[in-house]
Amino acid sequence: MAAVKTLLYLVVYPGLLFLFVYSTFCEWFDRKVYARLQNRMGPTHTGRGGILQPIADFFKLMAKEDIVPDRADKKLFKALPVVGLAVVLTAALLLPLWHYQPGASTFNSFQGDLIILLYLLSLPTLILFLAGWASTNAFSIIGGTRVLTMLFGYEVPLFLAVLSPAMLAGSWRLVEIAAFYQHRPYLLLVNLLGFAVALVCVQAKLERTPFDIPHAETEIVGGTFTEYSGKKLALFRLMTDVEMVVSAGLLSAVFLGGFGGGLILGFIQFVLKTLFVIFLLSLMRALTSRLRVDQVVAMAWKYLAPLAVLQLLIVILVKGLVL
Amino acid sequence: MKLGIFLPELIRSLFKKPNTVDYPFEKLEVPPDFRGSPFLHPDLCIACRACERDCPAEAIEIEELSKEEKKFQMVIHNDRCIHCAQCVDSCPTTPLKAMEMDHLFEIADFDRHNLKMQYVYNRAVPKKPAGSAVAPMSPNRSAKPSDGSESATAPAAPKPDPASKPGQS
Amino acid sequence: MKFQIPIGPQHPALKEPISLRMTVEGEVIKDADLRLGYNHRGVEKLAESKSWIQNIYLTERICGICSHSHATCFVQGAEKLLEIEAPRRGVYLRYLVSELERVHSHLLWLGVAGHEAGFDSFFMYTWRDREVVMDILEMISGNRVHYAINTLGGVRRDLDEAQKAKILDGLKILKARSEYYLKIGAGEPTFVGRLAGVGMLSRQQAMDLCTVGPVARASGIARDVRKDDPHAFYDEVEFDVATADTCDVLGRAVVRIKELFESYKIIEFVIRNLPDGPIAVKAPRRAKPGEVVSRYEAPRGENIHYIKSNGSDKPERLKVRAPTLANYAATIEMLRHGFIADIPLIFAAIDPCICCAERTAELVDARTGEERIVRFADLRRLAASRQAHSNKRNVAWPL
Repeated sequence: MAAVKTLLYLVVYPGLLFLFVYSTFCEWFDRKVYARLQNRMGPTHTGRGGILQPIADFFKLMAKEDIVPDRADKKLFKALPVVGLAVVLTAALLLPLWHYQPGASTFNSFQGDLIILLYLLSLPTLILFLAGWASTNAFSIIGGTRVLTMLFGYEVPLFLAVLSPAMLAGSWRLVEIAAFYQHRPYLLLVNLLGFAVALVCVQAKLERTPFDIPHAETEIVGGTFTEYSGKKLALFRLMTDVEMVVSAGLLSAVFLGGFGGGLILGFIQFVLKTLFVIFLLSLMRALTSRLRVDQVVAMAWKYLAPLAVLQLLIVILVKGLVL
Repeated sequence: MKLGIFLPELIRSLFKKPNTVDYPFEKLEVPPDFRGSPFLHPDLCIACRACERDCPAEAIEIEELSKEEKKFQMVIHNDRCIHCAQCVDSCPTTPLKAMEMDHLFEIADFDRHNLKMQYVYNRAVPKKPAGSAVAPMSPNRSAKPSDGSESATAPAAPKPDPASKPGQS
Repeated sequence: MKFQIPIGPQHPALKEPISLRMTVEGEVIKDADLRLGYNHRGVEKLAESKSWIQNIYLTERICGICSHSHATCFVQGAEKLLEIEAPRRGVYLRYLVSELERVHSHLLWLGVAGHEAGFDSFFMYTWRDREVVMDILEMISGNRVHYAINTLGGVRRDLDEAQKAKILDGLKILKARSEYYLKIGAGEPTFVGRLAGVGMLSRQQAMDLCTVGPVARASGIARDVRKDDPHAFYDEVEFDVATADTCDVLGRAVVRIKELFESYKIIEFVIRNLPDGPIAVKAPRRAKPGEVVSRYEAPRGENIHYIKSNGSDKPERLKVRAPTLANYAATIEMLRHGFIADIPLIFAAIDPCICCAERTAELVDARTGEERIVRFADLRRLAASRQAHSNKRNVAWPL
């Protein structure tokens, strides 16, 4: 029975199948909200309200010609999209949705899974850098270096911001952090500052405006993706979508009280909370203009990192004085 | 300088109807003076060739088919037309102009020859302003489709339905 | 590591073909090179074989955005050669369309600047509101892009009371929206952070490099043909030449928004003081022999047409100096020592109309630097043979 459950967990929910459908839905939601914020319609034709548009885009790209540049590092070039997708799908398995035992540790929930999830989310960034570098295109290389430059900016504030609620809860395990805040929801307010910092950092990690610098279309064409086409580009896009879902899931697990209450209730909470986070991300995308890479690093160290440290201080004070 | 200065406008738009139009399914009205493609009222044309002379795109060709019958053929190459309506301005017939613009704007086609419009007609005689009635030259004054492979068409109505676009049958 | 990146002839930031070769070191531009000639259309040669009236529509098609500028510039000159003068009402209507065109062009530019800076919401909103002025233009002239309102000796379409009311209604919306955009453009920190201090061009440099239009005005040079050499009714109407002294892309944006308000003033003046009378006089078909230089303040800067007539019904020579051409030299100066991220913004800030500026194309051998005159047929043959003999793996196109 447990084996069947595990298999279901890996393949259906929240594994491959669910993530594919839900991440495309999230992309549609993001596009639709972004369009409506700009007084446009967004996708309308494929499916009801254009809901199938991301899936149509995915299959269209899968059917397109796949070109590998002559001078590219071919093995790396071909392997990276698959590895990238695998990494984010693995990260999704660590979200505390279902099939965990609060007391004992299982393969998908254990002491320290928060750290592993954070590092798994860092890997796609490195993969994007390698993808840009392996393409040996001037635009891709610039894109790749921008990916890395930005990583130095937002990674530390993100870690600090995400780890401070964990410190308050006194656990490195997502389920326990969520359970802690479900018991004392008012403590979520303590972490608001960290939530804001983490949102900005996640936006940067997902490379969306104002941080879409590595693939800034008007500057460096496709950036890291310039040479990618067909199936590989489709996988990269799916990777970005799944990454968005996982990051939103991580933020809602840590800052919004997780997804307790069993399979059904947990699912509803997961959808509502991730959509809320994605809505905030879309709003930020519509609200801002693209920054320059030097401005991003400056902003990250001038504002985000001190704010994250301040959050840490607040947590320590609260923990010492109140609890 | 304020962070998120655009926010109120964006949130307001979220609950407003989108400003864009679902184009191929919903169409916008063009203003009454819209310049679409030119067409000819063959019964008014006096074959003065002013339009042919002034057309900047050389889209109008007038040919005399028969001298004694005063029969003319006008071909409007809508594939070359730049929709400037100079032919309408140059047309000297009064009070009604022989050349007129329709209101079509979806005029793309896969074959440029489909856009050609051909008229065979007898020359009209300019009416004297004094009103001295001149008998019609010939009973056969209306546009007559030629039998060429180029689908010849009758002049479009001033506001035709895009579905019944001339030259697509 | 120093390397060269090609921006163009095909690049998402460029809507028209031009080649900017950037020598970059990391993110910093060390040198910039600019190559033209990708879209030579032979307009000037064609103009020599068209009659005066036909040439209005030809010159109108030099540009898609400032179409009326070129047509008006040509008509101004041609009317002098034909020795006719447009009636007052015709003149008012002609420059009414000019100002409306300036409004639409500047709103378009604002959107493009937003897009180049990655501020797509700004882009969508400005273009949404630009539709108001586009609808007005369509209502007046019958088309959205090529208004074809000019004719020799006046304009082709009159304005009635209902249309006047509609224009005034539209102006109200546009004014409110422009004020809002001024607030956003100068208030959104991420946007201002991208524009301020980018593409510096000092007043002296702007003077030396013969810049025109908003580029010059943003460097503090109050140069405007409408004020310096008043034609039509520009000496009667009150308006200011908008300038800024920040010398950067932000200044160019602010100048354009300020110019919007000046244009609204002029449009209102025209609507309120539209004289009665005919809108056009009849023009002769032949011009007197002679030559004329016509100047016009297009949205992008000073537009110059040189027209020479030999007494026939066609011009003997038409020379067009589009404003973009005058700003190219300054662009290179602005690009130097900037960041890669600023290339699209700096280049967009001159509001380039690349195809309008394409007057000649010269063939230079990439290896020897030798200049040649080659017939078009030979060029095609060369391209075909190259295609046939190249094995696909080693096609090396010299940059």
